[in-house]
Amino acid sequence: MKRPAWAWLALSSLAFATAHAATRPHYGGSLTVELHAGSIPIDSAASALSIPITETLVRLNARGGVDPILCVAWQHDPDFKRWRFSLRPKVTFHDGEPLTGATAAPSLLAALKKKYSDVSIQTGGQAIVIQSGSAMPELLSDLAAPDSAVFRKNEANPRIPLIGTGPFRITAWEPGRRLSLAAFDDYWNGRPYLDSVTVGLVAGQAHADIFDIPYGLTRRAFPEGTSIWTSAPRTLVAITAANAPPALLQALALVIDRPPIANVLAQQRGDAAFSLLPQWLTGYAFLFQSTPDLEHAKQLVSQLRPAPMTLSYPANDVFLRTLAERVALNARDAGIMIQPTPNAGGNLRLIELQMQSTDPATELASIAATLGLSVHIESGKPETLYQAERSLLDRVIPLVHLREIYAIVPRVHIESSKPGSFALHLEDAWVQP
Amino acid sequence: MSFRIKVFLSIAATAMLSVWIVAAVVSALVSDSFERRDQQRTAALVNQFQREFDRRGAEAARRIEAVADSDAVQRLALNFPDASSYFTEAQTLAQEQSLDFLELVGPDQTIISSAEWPARFGYKEDWLAQPVDWKSQGVFLKREALADGEALGLITVRTVKAGDGTLYVVGGWRLDQQFLDSLPGAEGMRVRLSQQPGQITPVNSDTITTLPLHGRDNQLLATLLIENSRADLVALKKYIRGTAAVVGAIGVLLGLVLSFWTASRVTRPLRSLASTVREVSTGKWDTRATVSSADEIGQLARDFNGMTEQLVEQRDRMIQAERVAAWRELARRLAHELKNPLFPLQITIENLQRARDASSEQFDEVFRESTTTLLAEVGHLKTIIGRFSDFAKMPAPQLEPVDINQIVRQIIQLFEAQLHAPGKPAVETKLVLEKDLGPVSADPEQLRRALRNLVLNALDAMPGGGQLTIRTSRSDGKVAVEVSDTGEGLTPEECNRLFTPYYTTKQHGTGLGLAIVQSVVSDHKGTITVHSEPGQGATFRIEFQA
Repeated sequence: MKRPAWAWLALSSLAFATAHAATRPHYGGSLTVELHAGSIPIDSAASALSIPITETLVRLNARGGVDPILCVAWQHDPDFKRWRFSLRPKVTFHDGEPLTGATAAPSLLAALKKKYSDVSIQTGGQAIVIQSGSAMPELLSDLAAPDSAVFRKNEANPRIPLIGTGPFRITAWEPGRRLSLAAFDDYWNGRPYLDSVTVGLVAGQAHADIFDIPYGLTRRAFPEGTSIWTSAPRTLVAITAANAPPALLQALALVIDRPPIANVLAQQRGDAAFSLLPQWLTGYAFLFQSTPDLEHAKQLVSQLRPAPMTLSYPANDVFLRTLAERVALNARDAGIMIQPTPNAGGNLRLIELQMQSTDPATELASIAATLGLSVHIESGKPETLYQAERSLLDRVIPLVHLREIYAIVPRVHIESSKPGSFALHLEDAWVQP
Repeated sequence: MSFRIKVFLSIAATAMLSVWIVAAVVSALVSDSFERRDQQRTAALVNQFQREFDRRGAEAARRIEAVADSDAVQRLALNFPDASSYFTEAQTLAQEQSLDFLELVGPDQTIISSAEWPARFGYKEDWLAQPVDWKSQGVFLKREALADGEALGLITVRTVKAGDGTLYVVGGWRLDQQFLDSLPGAEGMRVRLSQQPGQITPVNSDTITTLPLHGRDNQLLATLLIENSRADLVALKKYIRGTAAVVGAIGVLLGLVLSFWTASRVTRPLRSLASTVREVSTGKWDTRATVSSADEIGQLARDFNGMTEQLVEQRDRMIQAERVAAWRELARRLAHELKNPLFPLQITIENLQRARDASSEQFDEVFRESTTTLLAEVGHLKTIIGRFSDFAKMPAPQLEPVDINQIVRQIIQLFEAQLHAPGKPAVETKLVLEKDLGPVSADPEQLRRALRNLVLNALDAMPGGGQLTIRTSRSDGKVAVEVSDTGEGLTPEECNRLFTPYYTTKQHGTGLGLAIVQSVVSDHKGTITVHSEPGQGATFRIEFQA
């Protein structure tokens, strides 16, 4: 008897909560993670699976506020051109090197230079002074981004390419194959429960403690007691156009029927996307929602008489290939001829954008930068965020926001990660002996 | 066209025509044979196609039945309408059953899952709404929409109960070139599928048999094209044509040899006869044709010899008669010419005899007058005899390069006094002489004599005065001299007889002047013609080889 996917998700979430309440954390043990992805991300922000090796100075909390992490205090001048941070004392890197302004400055400067070209950093003991000729009102959001993590490169040993201050330290890094981590005993916020974590690629049938469930395996049978963890929508699939006229993109946006894409094609692991940022992140995404308007689309097409176009998608990605074919099928109903094609640089491109921040402004700016565009968002003014996103929608057609799904065997317990949250934090995980 | 060429062409044409007829007949028989063979092979292939169509259709129906009975479809039927998670099911089932097409369609004819075009879920298959007993419908042809176009398929439909509705399982196999390639075909046969009516174009000279393929509603979906290669036939026909060309060429060559041989056999006596004719025509009347056969040509030679003998006899008789006539004419002319001066002589002598009886003074006077008359008449007689003597004494011409223009000028100068004699009507002279006339091989004295006679003749024709025109010209390797007068002219009859000796239109002429001219011209291998009409004067034209 077929059980609907949403029922699976509900039941597994319930089981997860029950198990959490009935057990107590336990130190020790190893955890194995297997991924179906083509590569193992050393940057934890690229995935919903958070295995922190590095940390940032500050972090955005769920309420939109800023929590200190590697710093304890900060000050800025009225123009937001000069910021002074006091670093957290007694924090060390994985190799025992103390965290000071001098050791933190290189990675911070490299990250900030991407946005502020004339930025400079002055250090003194546990203090860091960041200065720029232009105002930096969003500096805290910038420093909360994963890109602004504090780390040191370890060029002497390629098996341990970076040294951070996070709860896990790298013990072995085999690019494209395996990432071995161990608990950092001297972690300033307390040692994690797990002794070690090994992340590898699924060679065949997954036998790990935690493994991702890729597209097409949603209805697969898992071992008894396996819980399913679903992230908040955090991957945007969208169509971008290099030189297509805005009216043509509008016609295409009008003719694409998104709910079937989310419900059937994405196997209910995503939400129909009418905005770039998901509803949970902005709260206003519903304002962009619309229904297909074939007649209007046909009108626009009859005025444009567009030439046949190509829609490129990443090769070997079955989901995106089928999605491209679906878009082409919908487009044909309005008289827009689109030929899906793998990899080639077509008129239209089907892209996946991973969310890396829970700050909507940061995330929107990141999306705009990825597309080669720029947006103006004033801090503390959500209407400018809305306007910025609306302007981007002239160049991008959002299709679906996808969630990540992981299967977790019964012996694994994760304290802080609830279903639908942004990330699955392994620093809070422990295993039953 | 020579007889030899005629014989050659006849033989060659006969040989070519025969070979062409044989080649055409053989080609027609070969074509007919190939045509029948192609028809048999095509019929066999069509039968094979029908059998394979039925066999694969039955197999497709069995597999679609298996899909309809599969756990997955049964689960889908039970869970319906929650079908979104079955989106990829058709691909899995199609792979299991090795089907090219498979769609799972809901009771509202909405596609739940499509193996051939996965992205097409949610779209409608309206044709399934027709009230049809799909099981008894069997397999039918249908155009299936694909992401990259359309394909023709052997489709069958099965239904599965899903709650209050019906779930449709639609699928089958492609009817494509791969299907057609699996049919056992004879060498030189090619089977194609055309899904675009009006675009059937044969390859080279191949023959194409078409078989329309209809769908469920009898609409034409495609056309089966069975092409029979005519390469063998073309090669065979080419061989026949080549052979015919070779045989024809041999025939023509043989015809050439035969024609030469035959023509030689036939024309040798003819050529001999022709040579004999030419000799006879040059005056060798004693020449006789050789009679070498008893056939028509031999008879012709004999008849020719007989004719020649008769002509010789007639010529001799004619010469004899002409000679007699000439002597008679000569005698008559002599008698006439001599009789005229004899009468005054007789009268004068009689006057002398009568005067002897008169006084001596009268006698002396009569004597003086009579002797004067006698001497005049004797002189006249001498002139007549001299002319006859001149005509009789025409010597052979002594040829040397001669400037005719100069001779013409000398003659005009000679007649200058006569032309402008006082008391006589004036004759105007007009010379039109070709500058680049060039020398002519001639006897200058005889030429001068002939031209003098023509000028004299012209002056005689203009007793009342007129215009004498002498014109020289050169063309086509000939030099011509024309002497024209503006006198009374001549009748056609006079023109015909003008050069006959002793014929004259003048009261005191001897009829020898123009005869002498013609004799001179003839001795110089030239020609003389006269053109005249009464009242329009006359023009004598002499032509010599330059």
